Amino acid sequence: MSVVLEAAGLTKRFGDVTAVSELSFAVQEGTVTGFLGPNGAGKTTTLRMLLGLAEPTGGEALVFGRRYRELEHPACEVGAVLEASDLHPGRSGRDHLRVLAAAAGVAPSRVDEVLRLVELDAVADRHAGGYSLGMRQRLTLATALLGDPKLLVLDEPANGLDPEGVRWLRDFLRAFGAQGGTVFVSSHLLAEVAQTVDRVVIINRGRLVVQSMLSDLTARVAGTVRVGTTRPEVLEQALREAGVTESEREDGTVRVHGVAAERVGEVALEAGVALRELITESSSLEDVFLELTGGRGG
Amino acid sequence: MRAQLRSELLKLRTTRTAFWLLLAAAGTVLLEVFADVFSDNLLKISTENEQRVVFGAGTLGALFAAYTGMILVTNEFRYGTIKPTLLFEPRRRVVIGAKLIAVALVGVIFGVIGVALTFAAGFAVLAVRGVDFVVSDGNMALAAGGTIAGCTLCAMVGLAIGALIRHQVGAIVFLAAWFLTFEQILFNAVPSVGRFLPGQATSALGGVTTPHLLVPAVGGIALVAWTLAFVVLGTARTEGGDIA
Repeated sequence: MSVVLEAAGLTKRFGDVTAVSELSFAVQEGTVTGFLGPNGAGKTTTLRMLLGLAEPTGGEALVFGRRYRELEHPACEVGAVLEASDLHPGRSGRDHLRVLAAAAGVAPSRVDEVLRLVELDAVADRHAGGYSLGMRQRLTLATALLGDPKLLVLDEPANGLDPEGVRWLRDFLRAFGAQGGTVFVSSHLLAEVAQTVDRVVIINRGRLVVQSMLSDLTARVAGTVRVGTTRPEVLEQALREAGVTESEREDGTVRVHGVAAERVGEVALEAGVALRELITESSSLEDVFLELTGGRGG
Repeated sequence: MRAQLRSELLKLRTTRTAFWLLLAAAGTVLLEVFADVFSDNLLKISTENEQRVVFGAGTLGALFAAYTGMILVTNEFRYGTIKPTLLFEPRRRVVIGAKLIAVALVGVIFGVIGVALTFAAGFAVLAVRGVDFVVSDGNMALAAGGTIAGCTLCAMVGLAIGALIRHQVGAIVFLAAWFLTFEQILFNAVPSVGRFLPGQATSALGGVTTPHLLVPAVGGIALVAWTLAFVVLGTARTEGGDIA
């Protein structure tokens, strides 16, 4: 497996502000990798450097082993989805694609293909200014697909999409990955990409936090069950007897780690403890961060 | 370069802005011809010098050609389409080069339409006033060639200024302030300097004979020099730096 995207000691400073600092990671061919971090972590800046729109202050940003600007036919190698607002409102969706197809030297018939692919063919001749956010997002995706690239780079593509749109996008990216394509998709929400990606690169304050398989990551934070009860001591005792040792108590709440909610419910039933609530806590990215940077989850 | 040029020409054709600017240019040129012919007394409008001013009216289209050029680059920054443009062609020099050729073609179209309208309206209006047409063939050829060349170069100047300023409103204000205010003030106050400015040089190139203007050849050289200067600056600005 070869590396298709690589940041090596990548640094970007804007005046006194260091947006990205000594960032190094690699994206392997054929993987679907999530690029995660809270808002302002430096994700967009990193993507802009990888795509040749911003100059690194230090280090290197490489696509297929070269700087983006040195790619022979960039649109046929990398499909990039940046902001969905990058459209001329007075130009139709079809014309937007025709303009870029011409620049890439792609056959005009490809425009109709990608319009069908993102299910925009019905509105393709309307001005893009009248498109909904979801339609713009799909048009931007169509743009990325014009050159039939093997690598997709997406910056927060689910932003502003309705649940249906999010699912459509997820299915699309999964299918793209299943066909051997490589996807690098940024998000500030782990939950948003958790069902799509198999690897993650997490950054915070411009620095790499972790680069790993998603499964390794979720194992670290999954299985936290919050139990509300009037008799927390009894419940904890019962859990210990059932072999569940990782838990902590806080007023009327017990947090149990490494076990499914069903099991906790069973133990409580056997112990005759009435429950007020029984909740599997979602593994939010914030939890992961706090976990990974040594803070307490919460 | 050819692919990018096709793309840039398509950009111009797929929004209505260039069309409206062409229409505005046509209107302004016609208005100027009518104003020139009807504001002068019969004796004055019978002279070749005065008639050359009439047949050089097409040079007024140059400002609109400049706006068209400027729009082709500032629209990209205004609407963010510069990002997909550069993702598809990351060699920025190629993008600017293709844009320059595209707007030069636009300038030619502005010039040709300006000449056609000026000549048609000029002959018609002179005939209506019963004035004999006295401009020599050479000077008519100069009016035609100079108008087309002037519109072409000004379209490129507009594009370069757009690349330099990027901010659309800023560039619109700059162009208007420069051509309509600054140039007029300087030309009126110090004509020996003001006549070298791009707008006055364009008029001179079109054979307009307003007092103090340069002779056509020198006007042409001045305009070419301005174009080169702005293109070099605009290209340098685009070559490096980040795209927000």
